[in-house]
Amino acid sequence: MVTRGTLIYIGQRLVLIAVTVLVTSFGVFAVVHSLPGSAFVSEKVHGAALASLLHQYGLDRPIPVQYWDFFRGAIHGDLGQSLVIRGEEITPLVLRELTVSMELGGAALLITIGMGMLFGVIAAIRQNTWVDYTLTTFAVIGYSVPSFVIATLFLLIFGLWLQDITNGTFYYPIGWTGTYGTLAELSVPAVALGLYTSGQVTRITRAAMLDVVQQDYIRTARAKGLKTPVITLRHALRNALIPVTSILGPLVVSILVGVVVIENIFGIPGLGKEFVSSILRHDYNVAVGVFTIFAILIGFSNLIVDLLYTAIDPRIRY
Amino acid sequence: MRVSRLQTGGLLVGIAGVLTVAACGGSSGGGTTSNTLATQQVLHFPVLQDPGTWDPGEMDAEVDTELMQNVFDTLWRFDDHLNIIPDIAADVPTTSNGEISSDGMTYTVHLKSNVTFSNGDKVTSKDVVYSFNRGAALAGPYASNLSLIAGYSAVHKAGKAVCGKSSDPTTCHTTVEQRLAANDPSLMMSGMSAPDPSTVKITTSGPCGWCITAWSLQGSTGAIVDEAVVKNDPYTWWSKPGGPSVTDGQIGTGPYYLSSYTPKQSITFKRVSNWWGSPKPTLTEIDIDIKDPSTQTTNDAAWEQNHYDLVGYGGDSSQPTADILRYQTSGKFKSQLQLIPKGRTTWVSLDVGNPGAGGPFLGESPAAQGLRKAFALAVDKSALASTVCHNLLCTPATGGLITKGLIGYLGDGQDPLAKFDPTTAKQLLQQYDPTGSKTGNLKYSYNTGGINDPVAEFLQGQWQTNLGLHVTLDPHPDASAFIQDRLGGKFVMSRDGWQFDYNHPQDWFDNLWGADASGANTSGFADPQGDPQVATYDQPLAKADGLPIDQALPIYKQLSLLLEQDIAYIPLYYSVGQFLIHPYVKGAGSNAQADFYWDEISILSH
Repeated sequence: MVTRGTLIYIGQRLVLIAVTVLVTSFGVFAVVHSLPGSAFVSEKVHGAALASLLHQYGLDRPIPVQYWDFFRGAIHGDLGQSLVIRGEEITPLVLRELTVSMELGGAALLITIGMGMLFGVIAAIRQNTWVDYTLTTFAVIGYSVPSFVIATLFLLIFGLWLQDITNGTFYYPIGWTGTYGTLAELSVPAVALGLYTSGQVTRITRAAMLDVVQQDYIRTARAKGLKTPVITLRHALRNALIPVTSILGPLVVSILVGVVVIENIFGIPGLGKEFVSSILRHDYNVAVGVFTIFAILIGFSNLIVDLLYTAIDPRIRY
Repeated sequence: MRVSRLQTGGLLVGIAGVLTVAACGGSSGGGTTSNTLATQQVLHFPVLQDPGTWDPGEMDAEVDTELMQNVFDTLWRFDDHLNIIPDIAADVPTTSNGEISSDGMTYTVHLKSNVTFSNGDKVTSKDVVYSFNRGAALAGPYASNLSLIAGYSAVHKAGKAVCGKSSDPTTCHTTVEQRLAANDPSLMMSGMSAPDPSTVKITTSGPCGWCITAWSLQGSTGAIVDEAVVKNDPYTWWSKPGGPSVTDGQIGTGPYYLSSYTPKQSITFKRVSNWWGSPKPTLTEIDIDIKDPSTQTTNDAAWEQNHYDLVGYGGDSSQPTADILRYQTSGKFKSQLQLIPKGRTTWVSLDVGNPGAGGPFLGESPAAQGLRKAFALAVDKSALASTVCHNLLCTPATGGLITKGLIGYLGDGQDPLAKFDPTTAKQLLQQYDPTGSKTGNLKYSYNTGGINDPVAEFLQGQWQTNLGLHVTLDPHPDASAFIQDRLGGKFVMSRDGWQFDYNHPQDWFDNLWGADASGANTSGFADPQGDPQVATYDQPLAKADGLPIDQALPIYKQLSLLLEQDIAYIPLYYSVGQFLIHPYVKGAGSNAQADFYWDEISILSH
């Protein structure tokens, strides 16, 4: 239930998000504009022609003035224009790329929660059996190996060793057909991205389940003749979800950051790839726009996760 | 609470199965080629970057001009052998056909009568005058191609003033457009006039031997655009789809128009129906994927699987070396690999005239010249071509800075700086730097990527072996920052090069050295700021630029000699483009300058 306290809490968090986004975006703006090089300079564009272009695009003005222009546009939803693709509006570009990243991130989150919790529950109910050992080992490997290592390994396996079976699907980004790719193309990057976090979820779910299944109310439920799936899903899992939810915020941030790495390895046309390429190409406006979107996304993800606590655990009130 | 082992095992196997099945997909094609046309006349290939701009008034990237040569036309154009042939104009002007005046300063250009834009608008002489004036006013990178037209300087200056008033490119373009529409005299070159709808008169401020060549440069300031279209969206008209009846999209006079463009993903061009020119295009559609440069190997793999019809079109024809070596020894692919000399020369620039950078090579003293020569002679250019380029990716630059095959090339083995003479090199070093105090801490600066890294390591090895000097490598991962520093004269020794724009020596000598090359004179040779050679360079250059090519060529060769005698550079190699073209893609190819036009290509049954 949404209380007055909750609304005040949300308001405070929104202000905090706005201040964070403002400060960090200005920091990024200042840093990328201070990098050596330029989007325009080349063997053919230099001297007076370069100076003229820099002036036309307002890049010869002081950084605070440029940022003020960016800020005024941004609060109206206009992130400006690309310097590399002249005249290209950034807002629709990053919104499109945001949906691609959300597709990948969402798939990874599904794998994180779905696979992580499934393995955690199975490991708990099959405690100290080979199933438990296998799944626990799998989880430990998952959260011990960085996602970029897993991604590279997957490319090696599916793109090279198994290329007769995969038929070039994983010669990324050739296989990424269209904006959103196919399910086959999405699967490997999503697993590479979600495996790391799913390992953590497996571990925490298993521990929470082991704790819960030893509670008296579970024993009572079993004594009353309830079937195992009902006890597991309805009574044990719900309570075991609370510690899982508590790490969901960091997990979402971890996935968002991982998106930058995974998209670049697999050549997925999302925000993460754009962030890196825009910096390399000195497309300042795009880099700052993408970063700002990332900052907003992380801020809101954390807020949503914090609000989820109240839905799962009624004892928590803001 | 029991879950059977069978259930658990089945679940795990199921998950693995789903992942494996999901991982499988795609297909590859293949087959033999016949001489009949395929039903689908669609050409599919990758390019390695998005357009910077496709506005002929501002275009400068090769990836853009290579595509836009199929959308926009110029008065004259280059054929596949780099000869200048009529395009929109009916003839190529000469003094003998009376279209160039006897003083060489007035060009009378007659237009073909049937030329139309892809939206159906008829092309008249006013469109030519408008396009040239617009090109001068926008002051883009290739505005200087029009610099000899009378009144250019005033228009160029006025255009810059218009755009200098705001920090907004949209305002700049809109204001220029409004003033052009109002026939504002400050944006009208006095040397451009349209006496009748099919005749253009161009008057230059002096004799010009290179103007027609420069005005013929594809996708550039000489390309004709439609004022009626541009005025509707002066800044981004070029990025929108064109075609019949379009009023604010990419409209040119070429055989293709932009059908769709999704930034960072794809570009599609479609054939203009009933196009006025020839040859009549066979390809109905061109599908281009925009790929990241890091995907070259995967692009090649996709080409092998017939996902792409060709690779190398669109401005970047350098493939990964490992792929080229593999194709070279492949029975299946060797015949599909085309190695085509491109008009690019790479050399080492030595700081001759930039006092800021300093170093042992600066100035015209015998010691400075001797040390420059020592470093030049210590490099085995043939070994470089064989070791780094495997004699496939480049050839040794032995005929001067102008690339082999282009006007102004001196001839094989004619450049004395291309010689490899380690004995003389060592003697010169001993003579002018016996203690090693001058050359002890030298750095070779270069931008990383491609073959630049192995070339740098090769040079380091050569100077170490043949001169006994350790030159530190100074790699720069950011090419634009490197070029900015290089053009700023910050390096003592740096990687340098030039890709020609149009086939005329003026394109090299005006842009790289002397007073006209302000801001691009890396070595500082004949730089008015620091090198006394400037007078001996600039005066003959100005004379040569005003003469017909046959009379100008001996002077340009003298200038080449001057550069060689002064040892302003160390020649390294001429680039070779690598194109992967399936045999069913008939008519595709490239010359030293650009890809062959799309209207020459057809897809055979395969």
